[in-house]
Amino acid sequence: MTRLFAAVVAVLAAVAALIAVAPELLSPYLVNSAGQLAAFALLAVSLDLIWGYAGILSLGHGLYFAIGGYVVAMHLLKHGLAVTGRVPDFMQFMGWSEFPFYWAGFESFPYAAGLTVVLTLAMSGLFGFVSFRSRVGGVYFSIITQALVYVAMLLMFRNDTGFGGNNGMTGFSVIFGRDMADPFVSRMLAIGSIVILIAALLLCRRLVTSRVGRLVVACRDDEARLRSLGYGTLRLKLGIWCLSAVLAAVAGFLYVPQVGIINPRLLSPDVSLEIAVWVAIGGRGALSGAVIGAILVNGVKFWLSARAPELWPFILSGLVVLVVMAFPNGLLDLGRLRPRALKFLRPARGT
Amino acid sequence: MIRPLLLCLVVLCAVLRAQPATALDRDAVVASACGPATAAAEAGRMIIDGVAQASADDLVWARQLIASALDRSLACPGGAAPLLSLRNRAAFETIAAELTLLAAPDPTARAGALKSLGRRPELVPAGVLDRAAAQEQDTALKAALAEFAALADLGSPDLARRGRAVARVADTPSTRAATQLAALTNDPAYRADAGFRATVDDAITRVGRGLMIGRVLATLYNGASFASILFMSAVGLAVIFGLMGVINLAQGEFIMIGAYGTWLVQQGLHAAAPGLAVWYLPIAVIPVFLATAGIGVLLEVGLVRHLYRRPLMSLLATWAVSLFLVNLVRVVFGTQNLQFDTPFYVQGGIAVIGDFIITWNRLFAIGFAALSLAGTWALLRHTPFGLSVRATTQNREMAACIGIATRQVDMLAFGLGSGLAGLAGLALSPLYNVNPQMGTNFVVDSFMVVVLGGVAALEGTVLAALGIGQLNVLVEPFYGAVAAKVIVLLLTIMFLQWRPEGLFALQGRRR
Amino acid sequence: MIAIDVAGLNVRFGAFRAITDLSLTIDYGEVHAIIGPNGAGKTTLLDVISGLTRPVSGRVTLDGARELTRLSDTAIARAGVRRKFQKPSVFMALSVGENLEIGGLGDASLIDETARLIGLADQLQRPAGTLSHGQKQWLEIGMVLAARPRVLMLDEPVAGLTDGETDLTAELIATLRGPDRAIVVVEHDMDFVERIADRVTVLHEGRTLFEGAMADARQDRQVIDVYLGR
Ligand SMILES: Nc1ncnc2c1ncn2[C@@H]1O[C@H](COP(=O)(O)OP(=O)(O)OP(=O)(O)O)[C@@H](O)[C@H]1O
Ligand SMILES: [Mg+2]
Repeated sequence: MTRLFAAVVAVLAAVAALIAVAPELLSPYLVNSAGQLAAFALLAVSLDLIWGYAGILSLGHGLYFAIGGYVVAMHLLKHGLAVTGRVPDFMQFMGWSEFPFYWAGFESFPYAAGLTVVLTLAMSGLFGFVSFRSRVGGVYFSIITQALVYVAMLLMFRNDTGFGGNNGMTGFSVIFGRDMADPFVSRMLAIGSIVILIAALLLCRRLVTSRVGRLVVACRDDEARLRSLGYGTLRLKLGIWCLSAVLAAVAGFLYVPQVGIINPRLLSPDVSLEIAVWVAIGGRGALSGAVIGAILVNGVKFWLSARAPELWPFILSGLVVLVVMAFPNGLLDLGRLRPRALKFLRPARGT
Repeated sequence: MIRPLLLCLVVLCAVLRAQPATALDRDAVVASACGPATAAAEAGRMIIDGVAQASADDLVWARQLIASALDRSLACPGGAAPLLSLRNRAAFETIAAELTLLAAPDPTARAGALKSLGRRPELVPAGVLDRAAAQEQDTALKAALAEFAALADLGSPDLARRGRAVARVADTPSTRAATQLAALTNDPAYRADAGFRATVDDAITRVGRGLMIGRVLATLYNGASFASILFMSAVGLAVIFGLMGVINLAQGEFIMIGAYGTWLVQQGLHAAAPGLAVWYLPIAVIPVFLATAGIGVLLEVGLVRHLYRRPLMSLLATWAVSLFLVNLVRVVFGTQNLQFDTPFYVQGGIAVIGDFIITWNRLFAIGFAALSLAGTWALLRHTPFGLSVRATTQNREMAACIGIATRQVDMLAFGLGSGLAGLAGLALSPLYNVNPQMGTNFVVDSFMVVVLGGVAALEGTVLAALGIGQLNVLVEPFYGAVAAKVIVLLLTIMFLQWRPEGLFALQGRRR
Repeated sequence: MIAIDVAGLNVRFGAFRAITDLSLTIDYGEVHAIIGPNGAGKTTLLDVISGLTRPVSGRVTLDGARELTRLSDTAIARAGVRRKFQKPSVFMALSVGENLEIGGLGDASLIDETARLIGLADQLQRPAGTLSHGQKQWLEIGMVLAARPRVLMLDEPVAGLTDGETDLTAELIATLRGPDRAIVVVEHDMDFVERIADRVTVLHEGRTLFEGAMADARQDRQVIDVYLGR
């Protein structure tokens, strides 16, 4: 696993370096895709941290991803207005001449970046606190997170909230004062995303191999035991939960400038569930697995969306069933060829 | 053709004038009608004044007379009838409508007449209305007549009669009654007569109260019908979760399949037995239940069975199934809403109070859920299968040790839960839009029902479904559907602070 | 000196009374056995002391000062009251060393000594999931010991162990005994109890039936009737 982890980091670094030194080898589409995939991989890592290591499955991580995405979109629109004077579409659509008060300050990048973290910590902290305090766990926790993201989607679909409603936000023209259509900007965004992904991977790796990481695993396997040994598991779970949420928000913050649009469909429960699918396919409980899963699944999806998009749901559901039934540890099983992975080839026996 | 016939009739009638039961002086009427304008007006008055005593024959005769006078086919003794003055024409038209109301054999003609009179109710003489009300047989028309009479009385110059009418209007509170009464407060009589004013004020408060009660009842009723759907979808979730610790994310799709199955049955009946097509809802019950239960059993055997020790993975697996089903239906049937017939038994309803109408379509859903509840309860409490389900829920290992085939129990329970969700789809088809994505509208609320109600007892599911159903309907008119969902979710999370295991916790050791 | 003082304890699960008006003390320096038929309420008593179950009424005091029924399970563990569960529960995904490290609240210096005590010194790297049943029982005792608790509660430490392993466990408990440590053992193995216990309390249907030396308990009519004789 350590070797695999090192290999993944090395490949990521190589791709970033390639984009930096020899951009002419890669088409702009490829560069942009690489950047988006890095953001998805970061999102998968964030979910793996909480699901693979802490055993808490969030089916609502799209919420934090969208917080980052919406905040950066607001920043880009405000920044665009300041530089080019372009009024955001949704303002024209709603017939508003002024931004709602909570849009104040968004032209500043540090404010937006800071707000992403603060807002995510506040939301995830509050939700995590009330859930973990009352020992809501397992499937209950998962479906409540799903309900949360669903409700958030309904809220954002409303046009009067001042976040673009149904159509979301798009038409980002400048970033850091530079034209977003400039290939240099898109390269920088891709490299930035990959570098941040690598940093997050290294950070998470340190965490999971540390004492705290072992406590997290212990908590997953037997929380009551850990408590009776004198550990406050609330703080432990809350900490890892909030860290995971922040990583997801950072992923959204990186993703939206590269894809150029955000709308409430990002908050659909299906999107959040797909994140779990990437992790399950890549291999839960291994950071490298999450990265591989996210890149592989989304790579196929990108490729297919140009050819036969209507096939994708069928392929995805087939993949999930295959992984869940035959490869409980995802592709990592394939790599190790555990005997269990091939169980489905043998006649099933009662357990 | 008609002309000579009428002529004969008029002559014949004149000959028979000595008939004893006849209170109408037909000769005099004919004479006036054939006379100058003032006399013609007198003819109309004679007919109307005589309405109360006139025989049925008289009315038929008079109706024909007026009709012929209007289309100038009346044959007068002295030749053709004179041209009606504009004023008389209007008066005769009203009289024609009144006589149609009294004497036309066809109820739709009578209803039409009443409608045309409705523009100036106070101009219709009380005698006409009284007689019409007394002899009318058609129930719908009778009700309309009573309402019409009340309306006519409201404008009556006789204050006592008016007061009684006001009181009668207040007896059936409705938004219309409220507007009518409110209009009376601008009437000169309201200002002039203290007694009348008191009557009107009292009536307004009574109507207001009635409307209020109606609103409350209507909200409760709508909430109950939503809760019915939730219950049918959630009871399966709860039983399965209790048994296997698995939440079936495809439950919403079973609702959808149930609705599509109902539609298929409807189409099939249209093609094969059009006479029975109107009964497609009851006919679909068994095939829909069996089909959805069958798919549920397949899902359990093929997938869920292998995952009940890995509940989080089972979330992913059942989600994949739901994704598959939604897209399959989308490819096969398209994304648009399905068109359902609305048979008479789910059409309309009975007005109770205020604007509250017990609509049959909602009652259908509620009754359906009540039956499912009774059936499920009986099954779980009073059959060997139910005992096995409860035993396995409490302690799977122990149940297996004493010889319960827990795998079979799982399978059947899964089938039962899916079948009930399918029936929810059937029950909601007269109420909600049916399309491939419809499942998502119910599924989050159903989950919350399971979280709130717990898995230990059916009572929990019923209470939680009612609570969440009512809350949705209660909040929606004020703050919108989204706010309703937000509030349901927040209350659920808060509730879990107090009772993490839901309303009814399973008794037993956790570790 | 009294370590744990249980007074007037009542525990109910719904309408079922698991413990009724129970009072008992556990002293420093002693090994106190709690025995009784299945369902007598032994585990429930340990659950109350360790904060997993809240009583309907009654008090549990540590060192005559701290009221335990109001503290969380974590806080009670931190106060030095540790317990081994009836069902062996070690962290299967972690190694023996990591399990002991967690048990000792992160104090690595105690790992080696504890491992020697429980006879697993040469297995520190081994994943706990691969240990034998007896080794898991010992590892769990080790985890509980690692933080040097003042009150040590062992729920059925020799259930499912071979005779040899039972002897080793008895020796282990003997070495753990000390003037500033109270040890509570719940067991069904009477010979084992007789070897290690200074005092036994016999519970029956949530009430105290007998308290005194094991040898006397074996002579007691009532105890024979409800438990030993069966
Ligand atoms: N959480 C709970 N809910 C309901 N009943 C419980 C719970 N915990 C324990 N009980 C009941 O309380 C009684 C006492 O149980 P306890 O586990 O304390 O017995 P015990 O003396 O430890 O028995 P054993 O020797 O079998 O371990 C039993 O009848 C048990 O079923
Ligand atoms: Mg016990």
